Amino acid sequence: MKRRSWPLLGILAFGYAFLYVPILLLILYSFNESRLVTVWSGFSFKWYGELMHNHQLLDAAWLSVRVAATNASVAIVLGTLAANALVRHGRFRGRSGFELLLTAPLVMPDVIIGLSLLLLFVAMQHTIGWPDGRGFTTITIAHITFSTAYVAVVVRSRLAQMDRSLEEAAMDLGARPLGVYTRITLPLIAPALFSGWLLAFTLSLDDLVIASFVSGPGSTTLPMVVYSSVRMGVSPQINALATLIVAVVTLAVLIAGISLRRDSKR
Amino acid sequence: MAATPERRLLEPWQDPKAAPYVRIERLTKQFGDVYAVDDINLNIFKGEFFSLLGSSGCGKSTLLRLLAGLEYPTAGKIYIDGVDVTRVPPYSRPVNMMFQSYALFPHMSVEQNIEFGLKQDRLPRKERTERIAEMLDLLKITDLRKRRPNQISGGQRQRVALARSLAKHPKLLLLDEPLGALDKRLRENTQFELVNLQERLGTTFVTVTHDQEEAMTMSTRIAVMEAGQIMQVDTPTAIYEFPTCRFVAEFIGSVNLFEGKVMASEGNEILVEAAAGFTIRMRSYQPHPLGTPVTVAIRPEKMRLCPAYDPNGVNQIKGIVEDIAYLGDVSIYRIRVGEGKLVEMTLTNIQPRTEQALTWEQEVAIEWSPTSGVVLSE
Repeated sequence: MKRRSWPLLGILAFGYAFLYVPILLLILYSFNESRLVTVWSGFSFKWYGELMHNHQLLDAAWLSVRVAATNASVAIVLGTLAANALVRHGRFRGRSGFELLLTAPLVMPDVIIGLSLLLLFVAMQHTIGWPDGRGFTTITIAHITFSTAYVAVVVRSRLAQMDRSLEEAAMDLGARPLGVYTRITLPLIAPALFSGWLLAFTLSLDDLVIASFVSGPGSTTLPMVVYSSVRMGVSPQINALATLIVAVVTLAVLIAGISLRRDSKR
Repeated sequence: MAATPERRLLEPWQDPKAAPYVRIERLTKQFGDVYAVDDINLNIFKGEFFSLLGSSGCGKSTLLRLLAGLEYPTAGKIYIDGVDVTRVPPYSRPVNMMFQSYALFPHMSVEQNIEFGLKQDRLPRKERTERIAEMLDLLKITDLRKRRPNQISGGQRQRVALARSLAKHPKLLLLDEPLGALDKRLRENTQFELVNLQERLGTTFVTVTHDQEEAMTMSTRIAVMEAGQIMQVDTPTAIYEFPTCRFVAEFIGSVNLFEGKVMASEGNEILVEAAAGFTIRMRSYQPHPLGTPVTVAIRPEKMRLCPAYDPNGVNQIKGIVEDIAYLGDVSIYRIRVGEGKLVEMTLTNIQPRTEQALTWEQEVAIEWSPTSGVVLSE
């Protein structure tokens, strides 16, 4: 039955290698003793130790995680509301306009989003005095604007696939609209909410361009630090940090996968 | 809760004093310019197994959804057990529905699915457990109670859906194509089970179906629908034997239609001069003035071979066998009579096929009884 096809396995191996060898190399070099990123000289935890004392890098990482988490959490709420409006409320007035505006950030160049938001924030600060300076708040708001669009797309397709009669059945069995939403709709779109959240989190963690526009002094996100330090030569500390992030992400995905599987088995 | 079947002289729908359980008054539902339900009046009585029968798009599902409260009517009223529920939202109606897709909640076990409605009613845990056990037992699905909907078969899902919709002891159970998703054999068994269940519980069932056999087997009464209107409401027998209009006659079973004019009226019988060139003598239950154009319907199985043809005999005509369709239990013969008119006749195959007398192009004489014809209105 199971015959191995070597060409197919070869293609598979190439595919995985293409995707994961760079990351594996990065992990490997984070344990490199040498200061030079490209030369292997021996195994060491040295850069992890130094990382623990590099407050600039750690602060940046902490800021990025805070921004990403806040962004993802707000975007999931807004995106889900938008998806609901699009899927559940038929042809309301201005529907196509709403749809266009919602998805525009998906195709808008980051530079334009960043610049326009910067102009907006500066103008707002002048007129209403808020946001006071640029930093965590402005970066988060900027990220929410485009993350919402991604979340809406993910949640929308899931909602559209969902059998409408499930909600009708719940209502027929006596559940009020809010109860229907919390007991039937939300549990059923939960996988989409979860992946939407992760997507928004990742997009935010990843963003360099927009953050560069709307951040201020003293609020530097991790990609900004990495990018500027690369220009001065990469420190192996960054490899160490990247390895830690990869470890955390892998763990999160594993836990999520296991809990989802257990949930569907139950 | 088991209803004792009473012997009644009159069925409730024949009794002018009986109060209908569900009263639908001048109900209309418009979607844009389309009248899905068009000014319908209908009474359904307690304990009935009522079927809405029609082809797709005739408005039967919309009518069911109006009863469930999943749609609100454009005009008209719905009363259930004397209470006006026209504007009552679905979650407050004493009505439950079994959906065509079953709509079982995929993230809940069979047990939790059944419990869902009971929880909404804030029933205490002890009562809920009892009710679930009762339903599981009633539908013989106790073994499945911990399973998820995707871990059971289509037939089992149907039972779970039924259990869930019955768990709240609704006054009215609505079933949207309850057997539509089952295969043929399972469907036949389930038909009888459904009827037995309904008789045992005494709950009023209203079902929607496009399958006339299903409607005939299960229902106390059938409403035949077309283009948002009810064409005829009656018992399966009456619908089949005494259709009032052409649509119903053609929709249920097959039928021979003869157009003609009333020629003579003798007592309770009339003579109809058929356009195809022969005379039909038939029973008539209402007076028809001479010369009125009428359509006469005669079912194919009411036709029989005429052993001794007599040109002056009652309802006897000659023809030539043009087509034979052998269906095993019966054969359908198409016989050309008069000017190009084809008459369909169904004969039970009492003899093995090889012994059959009739063959293609054979000249035969057929006849039918004066009680077999029905006059249709357009």
